Amino acid sequence: MSETAATAPAVARGRSRLGWVARLGQYVGFVPALGLFGVFFALPLGLIVAYSFWETIDYNVVHHWTVDNYRYFFSVSTYVHTMWATIWVSVLATALTIGVAFPFTYWLVRYVPRGALQRLLLVLVILPFWTSYLLRVYSWLNILGDGGAINRFLQWIHLTHHPVSFFLYDRPAVILVLVYLYFPFAVLTLYASLERFDWDQFKAAMDLGATPRIAITRILLPQIKPGITTAVIFVFIPILGEYLTPQLVGGAQGVMIGNLIVNFFTGAQYTRGAAAALLIAALIIVLLVLFRRSLEVEDPYRA
Amino acid sequence: MREFEVVSPHARLVRWLLGSWAIFVYIFLFAPILVLIAFSFNANQYGTFPFTGWTMHWYGQVFHDYQIKDALFTTLRISAEVTVVATMVGTAAAFPLVRSRLPFRSGVRIGMTLPIMIPGLLIGVSLLVLLTDVFHMQLSEQTAVIGQSVYTTPFVVLLVAARLQGFDPALERAASDLGANTYRRLRYVVLPLIMPAVFAGALFAFTLSLDEFIITLFLIGAHNTLPIYIYTQVKFGITPEVNALATLLLAASLCLIALAFVLPMTIRRVRRLVRA
Repeated sequence: MSETAATAPAVARGRSRLGWVARLGQYVGFVPALGLFGVFFALPLGLIVAYSFWETIDYNVVHHWTVDNYRYFFSVSTYVHTMWATIWVSVLATALTIGVAFPFTYWLVRYVPRGALQRLLLVLVILPFWTSYLLRVYSWLNILGDGGAINRFLQWIHLTHHPVSFFLYDRPAVILVLVYLYFPFAVLTLYASLERFDWDQFKAAMDLGATPRIAITRILLPQIKPGITTAVIFVFIPILGEYLTPQLVGGAQGVMIGNLIVNFFTGAQYTRGAAAALLIAALIIVLLVLFRRSLEVEDPYRA
Repeated sequence: MREFEVVSPHARLVRWLLGSWAIFVYIFLFAPILVLIAFSFNANQYGTFPFTGWTMHWYGQVFHDYQIKDALFTTLRISAEVTVVATMVGTAAAFPLVRSRLPFRSGVRIGMTLPIMIPGLLIGVSLLVLLTDVFHMQLSEQTAVIGQSVYTTPFVVLLVAARLQGFDPALERAASDLGANTYRRLRYVVLPLIMPAVFAGALFAFTLSLDEFIITLFLIGAHNTLPIYIYTQVKFGITPEVNALATLLLAASLCLIALAFVLPMTIRRVRRLVRA
């Protein structure tokens, strides 16, 4: 980054002789992306904002400005309940994901010798991210549920005769699968910051009499805090908009706001659906703005 | 790291506990996938426990199912188009992102990656409203291509931008000093250098498009891609045939991703051989 920061002005200075044509010319590459993201990303999101403040009369969207969609959403207790449940599930799943990922990444960085083995173990964790998202959720259906491996196995060894409703179409199943889905994100971001940590400082602290616990809380954690924040954001945001996981393993108890949004849209209630979608989008944008600093640090999708 | 053991009496225990935790993590990550693969070879017609014997029968069914064949061709057509769009648009955007004197560079960079950050559900739903309600388009393969392009292009931007940042700008200045114009610099210096990243980006885009589910669900209309087909089948319960199809799709994704990682290295090696 610093390298390009130094050379970009130099390149630009060389071109400035050619005048404003060249100065504009350097942005030409953005034009197709601007078209794609402008028309098919920014515009539709803006449209959703507008829709959420318009009303539907006889299945037609009428351009009357109103807050009725939001009032309606908050007047139905099931919806409000689902919204809070979604936030609660997202917080819990994120905390568990980080809770599972942190000790693992700590082990990977500190106890596995750097080099081919460490890289291989990291790649094994990230591998599932590049396989089908649908199939990763689907694979749990073979294990959970009435006819899933756990229950069949218990019946097969005659431990029980009826399916046990352990991890069966309910919120715990949703949280389990969410942790499974977003675990690679967390490990990747945590690895990036733990890998750069200078372990000599750790040793120095202990030489000066710190216990391992004090060395972790006073030396390690403060330095990798940005990495942890990034991991939390990257896990929390996609979970907020989850639809498939609650749909496939959640049953009636595991419904999240994503399912509500889809129900509104498939039921042709575009304006109400838009309001529900905007509630999620607004929360995400607030989080992104609040934590934009920690997003600039790393580029966790880099292969 | 041996010094720690002297300092802390519990070091050995901590190390052992963390090691066991890591083993647990790998089991957690791979058990569902391995179970799925195992069941795809299971003779049990309910596609679940107990294991009643090995069979390739379900794979035979997959290859003879015309619905699956149909979905496969639709998926490949869409993925090919998405790959072309994402690779061209993404590569073009990577240049100004890295090289122009851009105000708010990091802001623009975050803006470019927003389509990855925002849940796919919101992209799908909002595009559905725009395309059907405002542009009055029929849902088709083309609308799915639009949605998937929005989602995959940022990956290409990130990959190519990383490569552009990585190579020595002096090379280009040297070409310029030797009299190469903009076109020649691009054609003979920059493009050969970033080509591996462009190939990798294209493969990533192809794989992501192949597996994309949520955006496609909203935009594909009456057609089926493989993930959509699997989803509609899952509603009726797990079948060994879907397990077999899922295994094939997983294997395809993994091969493509392995290729995306290995290809850039191979290209470099082949070039070196050719030059020598």
